[in-house]
Amino acid sequence: MLDFLQVVVDGLLFGATYALIGIGFTLVFGVMHKINMTYAAASIGGAYLGLLVLKVMAGAPAWLVFLCGFLGGGALGYVVYLACFHFIPYSSPLATLMSTVGMLLLIDEIIVHATEGRPLNYPAMFDDVMLRAGEFSLRGDLLLVFGVSVACMAGLLVLLYRTKLGLATRAVSQQPTAAQLCGIRIARVNAVTFVITGLLGGIAGALIGASVGTLSPLLTLPLTVKGLIVTVIGGLGNVPGAIIAGLLVGAFENVFQLWRGVTERDLYVMLLLFVFLVFRPGGLSSKN
Amino acid sequence: MDFYYGMAQLIGVHTLLGLSAYIVLLTGQVSMAQAAFFAIGAYTAGMLTVLAGWHIVPALGASSILGAATACAVGFPALRVKGLMLVIATLAFGEGVRLFFFNFDYQIAKGNIKVGPLGGEGFRQIRYFPENGWTTFDVMLFIWLFALAAMAVLWWFDRSRYGAVLRAVGEDELAAQSVGVNLTAVKVSAMTVGGAIAGVGGGLYAHYTTHIEHSSFNVLVATFAIAYPIVGGLSNVFGTLAAVIFVQAFLVEGLRDLGDWRNLLFGALIVLAMNLRPHGLFGRRHA
Amino acid sequence: MLELKAASRHFGGVRAVDGLDFRVSEGEIVGLIGPNGSGKSTAVNLVAGLFPLTSGRIVFRNQDLEKLPTHKRLQLGIARTFQNIRLFSQLSVWQNLWVAQNSPEDRARRGFFARWLGGQKGVRREIAELLEFSGLAAKQDELAANLAFGEQRRLELARALATRPKLLLLDEPAAGMNSEEIGQLRNRILQLRSRGITIVLVEHVMELVMGVTERIAVLNFGQKIAEGTPAQVQADPLVRKAYLGGA
Repeated sequence: MLDFLQVVVDGLLFGATYALIGIGFTLVFGVMHKINMTYAAASIGGAYLGLLVLKVMAGAPAWLVFLCGFLGGGALGYVVYLACFHFIPYSSPLATLMSTVGMLLLIDEIIVHATEGRPLNYPAMFDDVMLRAGEFSLRGDLLLVFGVSVACMAGLLVLLYRTKLGLATRAVSQQPTAAQLCGIRIARVNAVTFVITGLLGGIAGALIGASVGTLSPLLTLPLTVKGLIVTVIGGLGNVPGAIIAGLLVGAFENVFQLWRGVTERDLYVMLLLFVFLVFRPGGLSSKN
Repeated sequence: MDFYYGMAQLIGVHTLLGLSAYIVLLTGQVSMAQAAFFAIGAYTAGMLTVLAGWHIVPALGASSILGAATACAVGFPALRVKGLMLVIATLAFGEGVRLFFFNFDYQIAKGNIKVGPLGGEGFRQIRYFPENGWTTFDVMLFIWLFALAAMAVLWWFDRSRYGAVLRAVGEDELAAQSVGVNLTAVKVSAMTVGGAIAGVGGGLYAHYTTHIEHSSFNVLVATFAIAYPIVGGLSNVFGTLAAVIFVQAFLVEGLRDLGDWRNLLFGALIVLAMNLRPHGLFGRRHA
Repeated sequence: MLELKAASRHFGGVRAVDGLDFRVSEGEIVGLIGPNGSGKSTAVNLVAGLFPLTSGRIVFRNQDLEKLPTHKRLQLGIARTFQNIRLFSQLSVWQNLWVAQNSPEDRARRGFFARWLGGQKGVRREIAELLEFSGLAAKQDELAANLAFGEQRRLELARALATRPKLLLLDEPAAGMNSEEIGQLRNRILQLRSRGITIVLVEHVMELVMGVTERIAVLNFGQKIAEGTPAQVQADPLVRKAYLGGA
């Protein structure tokens, strides 16, 4: 029983990163009604960019690497926006989808070539800290992951619901034409959405690297799939839904792993997705 | 010369993969599951020739039927899921199938060795062609027999009422329903045909490469499947063929020494193509 | 032929159609008018089966339509046109009509054996007739997207006719037409009636409604507020109030 609880808690803490990835997918969908298939790859890419700091400054502290991951993600987000969304006409959703898939491959391969296919070590913080409560322990680094993720999510929610930019974003997602008529520049809102989700993705990638200990291009496809699963379970376009779903997927994933081992774990996560698709295609908070 | 035959084999098999996505795309469904049906076809045909000693043709028939049956089963729940959700659902299904094969062991002893799929190691020694004296040229012709047949069938559909109905559904489901089109029948049938074509393609793939494993049927392959008809344009089957040739021949031929940069260039090429020609190489029907 | 009994359709708090009783007899041309938002289009959509009733019943030729999906209703003989034309723009005129041949007779014609026994010729002849009737014969291979607006309207109507309807619901077919075009439309509607098609005309353009219908029902806020001949309806003070507001 205690094992189970431990696993659930660890999963919840790690799940915060999935929540961030899910938010990224769902926010772009909400604003542009398009899926940015590149997102998870760009997030990992951002994390890699964070590692560049270590090249420049050999003993750089972990938090600096994370910060650069954060910023790197934002920059990549803007690049993805330009390459895949800015120029393609609205009437070609297939073209946008394809270009984001192409971009996903491109980023993946660039990472592989830049790192010669070898995984890289990622710095962690508080990985030697363990809070104990009897036989129950909370990993310090996971707590940090959770804490930073929550801070970012809170920041995003404040941005969305308490600032003018957030208001503009929500307006565009509901009625793009009317929003334009009110003087909102759609291209700008879209670009900013990409930068913001890129920032979130970058920090998520860095946190994943930190808690796993290494970063590898092999992470991108599974992360894409998990991010999409979180998005679907949370409901497309639903940011709070993505948060809850991310934590849920993190927890379930760990439980499945405890129960059936690593190789079958992902199969069960997939089944979880199908259960939702069949019974609640609108996501957690939908009525049907 | 063998190199060119090999490339022609690859193009032929990928054309089948692309065509399986083409017919589904006509109905407006973006399916990332075609690689899964391809995988099912591959493992089925492989197991039938290697483990059960079947002749290649009935083995391909079986893989086509199994691909079609799975696709039909997927087609029904797919109806409940619209637009981008379908992309995600089919992507997840594809991953699920891949993970299934990652965990799939079925080996029997043949003489001193064991043959058959072995989980993560994959399925090796699918040697029907070499064991029966087929040359590279023979295999190429055989593959193209099926690729051309599939093209002919889809070309014929395009000129028939069924083709017009498929495209009507793809364009406006509400209007199609309102003139009496049974959406379920149309969408599921398209998915089923796509599954049949992918099944054959997979069976051929397994035999010409002689070794398949779960990673041969990943998201990348699923992407190739829909990339071909999207990049080639949905106005006719030749668009898909052109896209396959363009992508494979250009990437392979142009960069023989840089073989492992292929995927990177594929990605860049797609991004570029979609920005320059959002409606595909062949574009829309002329307005 | 068609009867709506206390039909209601609520969207959350909005009562688009509220306890509507509406009858159409075979061979009639009935008008359905009312200010914007009165529920006319919703009523059409309910009969066509686009969404289910919240309460009440719709009966067509003694058959309750409740569980039937749109394409099944079509096979019973209910066809409709769309207010904002919904043609298959990437298909040709001919193909638009071809796709619409889903009536039981046409399906039988496509049956395995029937096909070889002149089924195909029948199909071609029927489509050619429809094209003649709609004045689109010269444009049969043109993409629907390339047609002029008036031609698109005619194709929208022709496509509904290709389904061999017994009841035809026309949703604002005259929008944006000039007097001459309205006259042509009027004639076409009368011709359709003489072919045995019952017609429900939802319309704002009074010139058409008053000129072609025998009976008109007036809706406001989802309910029927008046019914009668065109003359009666025009004189009704409630109708005036609904359209013009106030006393």
